[in-house]
Amino acid sequence: MRARIFAVLAYTGAAITLVLAILVPFVLLGGFTGLVARAGLHVDASYSGGDIARVFDRNGYQVAVYRPVQPHFLQRVHPFVQIAFKPAHALPPRIDEEVDLDGDGRPDVRIVFAVPASPDAPLHGDVIALNGSYRSLANVGGDSFSELLVRTGDQILVRVPFRGASPRN
Amino acid sequence: MASISSVPRRPAAYRGIGRSLLLTLPIALWSLLMFSRAFQQPDRAGWAGAIVVMLFMTFLFFMMMRTGTTYRWRRYFFVALGFLFPVGFIAALISVRGTMSIPIERMVAGDTPFCFMVIPMLIVPAALTRTIIFPGSILPTASNPHSIAVMIGLWLALSLVVGKAWCSYACFFGGIEEGFAAVARRPRIRRIDPRLRLVPWAMLIFIVALSAALFEPVYCTWFCPFKTVTEFARVRSIETAIQMGIFITLFVALVVVLPILTKKRTQCAFFCPFGAFQSLFNKINLFEIRFNRDKCVDCTLCQSACPTMAISADSVREGKTLLNCMKCGACVDVCKKDAAVWHLKGTRVALKPERARLLFLYGAWAMATMFGGSILGNSLATILHFLPWK
Repeated sequence: MRARIFAVLAYTGAAITLVLAILVPFVLLGGFTGLVARAGLHVDASYSGGDIARVFDRNGYQVAVYRPVQPHFLQRVHPFVQIAFKPAHALPPRIDEEVDLDGDGRPDVRIVFAVPASPDAPLHGDVIALNGSYRSLANVGGDSFSELLVRTGDQILVRVPFRGASPRN
Repeated sequence: MASISSVPRRPAAYRGIGRSLLLTLPIALWSLLMFSRAFQQPDRAGWAGAIVVMLFMTFLFFMMMRTGTTYRWRRYFFVALGFLFPVGFIAALISVRGTMSIPIERMVAGDTPFCFMVIPMLIVPAALTRTIIFPGSILPTASNPHSIAVMIGLWLALSLVVGKAWCSYACFFGGIEEGFAAVARRPRIRRIDPRLRLVPWAMLIFIVALSAALFEPVYCTWFCPFKTVTEFARVRSIETAIQMGIFITLFVALVVVLPILTKKRTQCAFFCPFGAFQSLFNKINLFEIRFNRDKCVDCTLCQSACPTMAISADSVREGKTLLNCMKCGACVDVCKKDAAVWHLKGTRVALKPERARLLFLYGAWAMATMFGGSILGNSLATILHFLPWK
């Protein structure tokens, strides 16, 4: 009797597995994808740059300053702050401006780079630190996650590393 | 040592053509359903790819029904998947970005296609901080349809149906080494230390712990042999050069040379941490391989034939495979005494093994057609695009 009950349960389970297989492309795949999407997960800030802290409007374009990114535990990324110049198509041929990164009203870095006409052209530029909190970068390009000047889509991203530990704001 | 291809167990016609066709009909209809979207596109190469793969998958399933064997026919699909996936993937990379290496701006933009190998490494950081330690995007975008949510959703759904059989019906990397393992008629290396079976578990613990500590997918950045045939970070420092050297060395050793010498899937059996992780699904999946002790004569043919060393003398004595069995069917096909059988947990061993095999194969082949079949179709279409007569 026990063996029969187990057998019935086993075949019921096998039938459910087959039904699940049929449902995968129509229901399960979308359902599981939605579950993962709604799980409140986010890509690590060392890749994504983190959240925007403040936005400065310029003449026809914007400069978005992100929150400082701190490494987790033993993460090998140096602390940095990301700045986005967007939209890239509206930028002047040459950017040379001082940006306030920590929101104290005083500029912290001077960022200088030429904006190539072609979106595929490599970018290089300089970051000059105006105080001791940040590190200057000469001829920076796509070097590392904490030191870079790259174009992604219709924006140009600059990442400026902190000289030491960064303020948490 | 017996080679799986050299020991046919069943007669050439296990079932009649009519009955085999009838049993194949659901898979034929499923294939048609899965590839129907390809026929709505104007791309004729896509049509051709879809038709070829539809026929291919249906024919292989028919042969499984007709001959009563599984391994050989599954292997045709699996090796095709293993060798065509990189072709399609690399062609797509070259056409989009002109190189196999992924530049840092694409990683920062979240454009790295998500690979299921990363999944075990994501769990601890995601559980503790809700952070995904991978440079992709959570939701699909125009530039990255293979987003994290889509690929994890796909893996969850497939794992629910096939469990550890993912490694022999869905993993597009495993097919490469299975192809190389099929090259030699007989193995040159016969004695393999069984303790090597523990290495994937050690690797799993090592990379999960290290990834949680370093907050980066350590396996992808340092150890993945398949970076050699997919994509990798651009070599721009001594560190990335060393990483590239490790990828190539591991690929040549574990995916090409050792499979040829041992006729085993050495990367899967002795290295792959994802495979070890996926083995846990064997605990919840209903299908397994069992040994009928009344018929078994301890000839060890099954142990020799198993491509991942998932059978030991002890496990045969207990009538079971080890936890890392991926249900490829090699042991069942090679057993001359019908002692190795497909089994549905909860039923009596060897009572209706063919019924258990059919129930398993319908689910597994449906998933193989949906996932691997679509990869095969796209890769074939890519190749057709490059042909001069197009």
